[in-house]
Amino acid sequence: MFSGLQVSAFLAWKSIQRGSKGTLALTIMIIALIFVNLIFLPSIISGVVENFNTQSIDFDIGNLIIEPREGSQYIENVTSLQKKVERIPGIAGTSPRIVAGVTYFYKGRNAASTLYGITPEDERSVTKIADHMLAGEFLSNGDTNAIIMGTTLAGEEGEEAGGLPSLQGVVVGDSVEVAYPNGEVRTYRVKGIYETQSFNVDTAAFVTGREMSGVLGLNDQASAILVKTDVNGREEEYKTELLSYGIQEEVRTYREKAAGFVDQAVQSFNIINTISTLVSLIIAIVVVFIVIFINTVNRRRQIGILKAIGIDQGIIINSYVLQVLFITAVGALAGMALAAGVTTYLTAYPLVFPGGPVYPVVEAPAVLRSIASLFAVSVVAGYIPAWQIAREDILTAIRG
Amino acid sequence: MIVAENLTRVYTMGRVEVRALRGVSLEVEKGEFVGIMGASGSGKSTLLHILGLLDRPTSGRVTVDGTDVLALSDHQRTLFRLNRLGYVFQDYALIGELTALENVYLTSLVRGAPREEYLRRSAGILERVGLADRMDHRQSELSGGEQQRVAIARALVNNPSILLADEPCANLDSQTSKSILDLFARLNEDLDQTIVMVSHEEWHKEYFCRVVTLRDGLIGDMAECRKERPPPGRTA
Ligand SMILES: Nc1ncnc2c1ncn2[C@@H]1O[C@H](COP(=O)(O)OP(=O)(O)OP(=O)(O)O)[C@@H](O)[C@H]1O
Ligand SMILES: [Mg+2]
Repeated sequence: MFSGLQVSAFLAWKSIQRGSKGTLALTIMIIALIFVNLIFLPSIISGVVENFNTQSIDFDIGNLIIEPREGSQYIENVTSLQKKVERIPGIAGTSPRIVAGVTYFYKGRNAASTLYGITPEDERSVTKIADHMLAGEFLSNGDTNAIIMGTTLAGEEGEEAGGLPSLQGVVVGDSVEVAYPNGEVRTYRVKGIYETQSFNVDTAAFVTGREMSGVLGLNDQASAILVKTDVNGREEEYKTELLSYGIQEEVRTYREKAAGFVDQAVQSFNIINTISTLVSLIIAIVVVFIVIFINTVNRRRQIGILKAIGIDQGIIINSYVLQVLFITAVGALAGMALAAGVTTYLTAYPLVFPGGPVYPVVEAPAVLRSIASLFAVSVVAGYIPAWQIAREDILTAIRG
Repeated sequence: MIVAENLTRVYTMGRVEVRALRGVSLEVEKGEFVGIMGASGSGKSTLLHILGLLDRPTSGRVTVDGTDVLALSDHQRTLFRLNRLGYVFQDYALIGELTALENVYLTSLVRGAPREEYLRRSAGILERVGLADRMDHRQSELSGGEQQRVAIARALVNNPSILLADEPCANLDSQTSKSILDLFARLNEDLDQTIVMVSHEEWHKEYFCRVVTLRDGLIGDMAECRKERPPPGRTA
């Protein structure tokens, strides 16, 4: 016997080939735009989340952060702990940080913010602050009276502080006074100014750990140790690993550490994302449905004739479904090309958010979901009118 | 053999009822070439639609070779149309997106004929209706008479045992009409095809084995079949 599907494919192809090119192009374009719409916002939101994550890892927290055990203010025996951690396979580096809330004084202005004490060489092995110097240089291990400062804290001459800590115009070579919480006051020469776009980091400053230990009277102690792993994304495994090596201190992943801030943001974004996707999908359903419905209804007479000459309605319906599948496939391809174009453009000229430039991150599951929804919608939108008309009385359909 | 018993067909349009057939009974023997004539609006197309399984009567019975075709499911009726009937529509009813040739071979494709065979047969039948050089034309590129001949070719291509033709020569000049009627006569003769054809033209009568005349939805006149069919006249 014959293959009904072959006849359906024949009819579908002739219809696409010889039907109105304008309608075909319009339908494909609409599907392409809907596709772009379905993946655009999620890609930006993924970009924002990705941005949060990289910023946290690269400048603020590292992949993992070791903090003092409950009840203590500092981690003790930092050097030996560092050695122990660095021996674990997959650990790329560790950097102890001492943290203090200080007040900065500069030309009669003052600002309260964070000051970190670091071991510059260790810090280089964990964060990328050293690569983000706007002016001057990063700290060296031997520096004693040098400070490097975030661009927000350094500020600009004449700017409004706007609620952020700003000394309004510090430049490299200037002297800045720092009042420590224990009352000690030191004067440092600004060795460099950096910009990471990470809010927490750009409003802070760094001196060497040795200098800060001296002022605060600490010995081989730190407020936290940042840990960098060879690859991102496997923090949970490394955390387990660290704990299994008998580390008594608190170990948290960057995600846990930033939980309050990032997770909340991510959650809100996910809600926006879900709503937007849902709305896009509903629009997609309605638009695709209308376009294909009209298309099919316009072929009412033709469907009637096909039935009249003895073609089974299953074959007729399938031919419409095949047409729709073809149109959707081309539309999705065009949509992917368009989305790739938009993504390339936004990668070259990124959108700038408070956290820095955001590059769109197109995630495979989002693309697959969009394609799947588009196909599902189209098939339904093609099937229903074809089925409705194919069921109709032959002569009524032929009369149009 | 087609047997129609007491067919009525009432079209209801809102409150108005149009009684297109009011009790038509008709028997057509296998191999007969019957002409249906009558004034415009007398119910000729309505009757042919019912015999062609395209419409159902409001009341009455239709059997074809003993099969009660009104009792068949839609799917069975579709298969019946595909495998047993050829139908020439009064308004041609071609598929606009297909060429003349594709229109003709579509049903052969559905019947699963080998490509080579259906292409050869379809081209052959188009040649016989005088459209050898119009095979790749689409409906919009064909004249009314050419469209009508494509419709005829489509109805004939599978050598159906029953051919129903609704004014198949309405748009043809008398020369072309004659060649089509000669073709019908030959198929009727050679393949013992049953043909029921609606016509307006007096001179077509000489081709018919008998003529059924409809008048206001009723049979006005039904001649006996002339057993001895005279050879088709040379002049129109
Ligand atoms: N779908 C319909 N709805 C309402 N009335 C109809 C419908 N189809 C046909 N009729 C009516 O039924 C009657 C018979 O129509 P039919 O088409 O059978 O006539 P006909 O004999 O084929 O005429 P013609 O020679 O003009 O083709 C006409 O009065 C017509 O108006
Ligand atoms: Mg008619």
